[in-house]
Amino acid sequence: MKPVRKLLDYIYSIKLLKPFHPVIDAVDAAFFSPSELTEVKPHILDNIDLKRYMFAVIIALMPSTIAAVVFYGWYVLAMIVVSYAAGGIVEVIFALIRKKHIEEGFFVTGIIFPLVLPPTTPLWIVAVGVAFGVFFGKEVFGGTGRNPFNPALVGRLFITIAFPTIMTTFWRVPFSDAITAATPLSIYKTSHTITPYIDLLLGQCGGSMGETFRIGIIVGGLFLLFSKVADWKISISYIGSVFVFALIGNALFPMKIAPPVFQILAGGLLYGAFFMATDPVTSPFTKAGKWIFGIACGLLTVLIRSFSGYVEGVMFSIVIMNAFTPILDHLVLSIKYRR
Amino acid sequence: MKVEKRKFKGGYRFKNFDGQITDKIDAIDIPERVVIPLKQGFGNEVPFISKIGYTVQAGQIIGRDDTSVSSPVHATANGVVEKVVTIEVFGCEVQAVVIKSNGTKTWRVLDGATENWEELPTDKIEEILYLSGVTALDKEGIPTKFNSSVITPSDVENIIVHAVGSEVFNLSLSVLLGGERVHNFVEGLKILHKVMPNAKVHLAIGNNEKEWLTTFSKILDGIDWLRLYALEPKYPQGYDEVLIPTILKREFPHGYCSANIGATVLSVQAVLHVYDAVVEGKPLIERIIGFGGAGFKENVHAKVRIGTSLDFILKNRIKDDLEVRYILNSALTGDTITNLSYPLDKSYRMLLALHEDRKRYFIPFMNPGFNRDSYSRTFLSYITTKRAETNVHGEERPHVSCGFCEEVCPVRIIPHLIYSHVERGFIEDRLIDFGIYKCIDCNLCNYVCVSKIPIAQYIKEGKDKLIEEGLEPPLPDYDMKGVEEYLSIREKPVQAKDEEDETS
Repeated sequence: MKPVRKLLDYIYSIKLLKPFHPVIDAVDAAFFSPSELTEVKPHILDNIDLKRYMFAVIIALMPSTIAAVVFYGWYVLAMIVVSYAAGGIVEVIFALIRKKHIEEGFFVTGIIFPLVLPPTTPLWIVAVGVAFGVFFGKEVFGGTGRNPFNPALVGRLFITIAFPTIMTTFWRVPFSDAITAATPLSIYKTSHTITPYIDLLLGQCGGSMGETFRIGIIVGGLFLLFSKVADWKISISYIGSVFVFALIGNALFPMKIAPPVFQILAGGLLYGAFFMATDPVTSPFTKAGKWIFGIACGLLTVLIRSFSGYVEGVMFSIVIMNAFTPILDHLVLSIKYRR
Repeated sequence: MKVEKRKFKGGYRFKNFDGQITDKIDAIDIPERVVIPLKQGFGNEVPFISKIGYTVQAGQIIGRDDTSVSSPVHATANGVVEKVVTIEVFGCEVQAVVIKSNGTKTWRVLDGATENWEELPTDKIEEILYLSGVTALDKEGIPTKFNSSVITPSDVENIIVHAVGSEVFNLSLSVLLGGERVHNFVEGLKILHKVMPNAKVHLAIGNNEKEWLTTFSKILDGIDWLRLYALEPKYPQGYDEVLIPTILKREFPHGYCSANIGATVLSVQAVLHVYDAVVEGKPLIERIIGFGGAGFKENVHAKVRIGTSLDFILKNRIKDDLEVRYILNSALTGDTITNLSYPLDKSYRMLLALHEDRKRYFIPFMNPGFNRDSYSRTFLSYITTKRAETNVHGEERPHVSCGFCEEVCPVRIIPHLIYSHVERGFIEDRLIDFGIYKCIDCNLCNYVCVSKIPIAQYIKEGKDKLIEEGLEPPLPDYDMKGVEEYLSIREKPVQAKDEEDETS
């Protein structure tokens, strides 16, 4: 740690680099905890800060990330590096313009985004997607804490619409080089065949690179809920409502709506319910709002999967509900605190 | 006796911090000089009624005013009154009497105190309590007919005595109640019940004190005016505002005090002082305080004469190589002690010396954190001893709605919602709907905040600005007692501030 400290002190001493102090500060703050002491009561403070809060999400994503590297090779790492680099540049530019700190929210976006892409996505598309997501999903609204939409989802939405072929047909089954258009959900839609649950759990099927190894997602997700970083109400109500709506729907329209357990294990549902819907900034903060948010996400997911032209509805339903977040909170507050 | 289990929603259990106070107790000598503030604990400042140059005995009254809400103040050492000075204590100016001690340890016994206190008329017990100075203890004092609290003894419907160690550092029940003292304590409860015959007595013990719960359920068996509770030792259970809803199952009159709804909340030490006064005739001249925090060489309790300066108490007790911050009573809400010449008064429970840790730790967010406390479970410190120091542990960041403050809030308001309104300058009656006046300043929201935002300070600012705009806390729709008396005491500092503003 001493060489790092010395290097940082040296960089601070260079006058030419003064405009870049937000960047250096961010590096400094990432490597070393602050030396400041509490000035107001309470005298002692919790040891958590935003960096650790975000880092917990990264730890929770590790099983999926490692599985993706094992399944699809080192290219996955390249995608993550590109994602961090491209998104980081946008973040840094904004921090420099605003003369503010570099905010840690990007720690999460940088890794959550590549994991929802097909494992064959060209690197330049990764870069464009994440830059778009960070720029239009977050920075234009004022940065971390003010963004109405999850930046990773905005990026993913953008490339789904801008490059539809890549996002719908470039899937790969792990350990095979064959490119296929088939994912468990699309197979169900065309032939009503249900992929074996064990294959879904272990990731032996087509899908975004981080969302197929579902055992890892469940383990990471439970860690997030346990650590209190993600709110259990949203994850549970989302998954629960998919189960309930799929159960009812499957009984009523067995040809259209897939059975409940398959719906939960297929596609990006677990990934979305644990890692994307739970983003505290873009989901309601009121308790009732969280339940409504989760249930509505579940209903929308089942509806979009079953009745729309798209095979997957997780991303759309979360983004739609992100848009409803402020009004949900407003409604709950006006009922809770009515006069 | 049946033990009732109760808990409140929210709160946070501070567990396993280093520098916990051990069961040892030291006696501290009488210093050369004691400085006795004429305002101590609950009540107004009292006038000096002795004379400079007079020889006084420990336990002799040197300040008294029967007309205002106050309790007498005593000399706490045998010696000569040297002078009356104005001292500044935590930003307030107060008159203090300096007594040069002759070093002897005797004290003047209170008139009428007896082991057979049951035979004394209630009036006489009240008088002994008042003259002993015990009635100034705790948040609203002990009511007697001498104006020692804002209500009279017959107004008291409930006495809550709490021994729940819910703070980061707590006094040890074994030290306070060990040996014979537990029986003295029960006797003290009986005395209080005699003085306030309309009151039910509620004794609350932390559910972590299993042995004390069994002891009490044995020795209190058969007393029909008393109930025993086991409470979760979550912070801030010891607050009146939290004890009253948990035990009495009724709303606290936010903006007012527990006395206004006929409840008197007392600490274990206050009850023991009641016994000492009425049975042993000992006026309130010493306190047991605890030394908490890693800054102390040894974390012990100490028996100290009131008026002893903090310098004298802390001499040779602090680690030499450590930069420490001295704090009074509570790590979450206590005042920083910047001047060690302050004298100890009746309101001191403990002195904390916390490490001012300026060290910059390497890649803190990847540290497993075996010795670091957090409300979130992102640190591996579930069973290990955790450090209590004053570092901020992170830079201030934008609000991310993590919801921790709402989860821990003991009065069930949404702190971050009020914060975001106040921060944007929306000072309006909507804030009262959101329950801004329910806030009890426990500072727990600040403690848990992931973004390191001083939420509690914003809430406080919001309250002050609302009052400035004339939007006072609404008066509850039920009858309250002693409201005017309480407001007259509460508003004192505000008036003083206004006068200052006019002169400047």
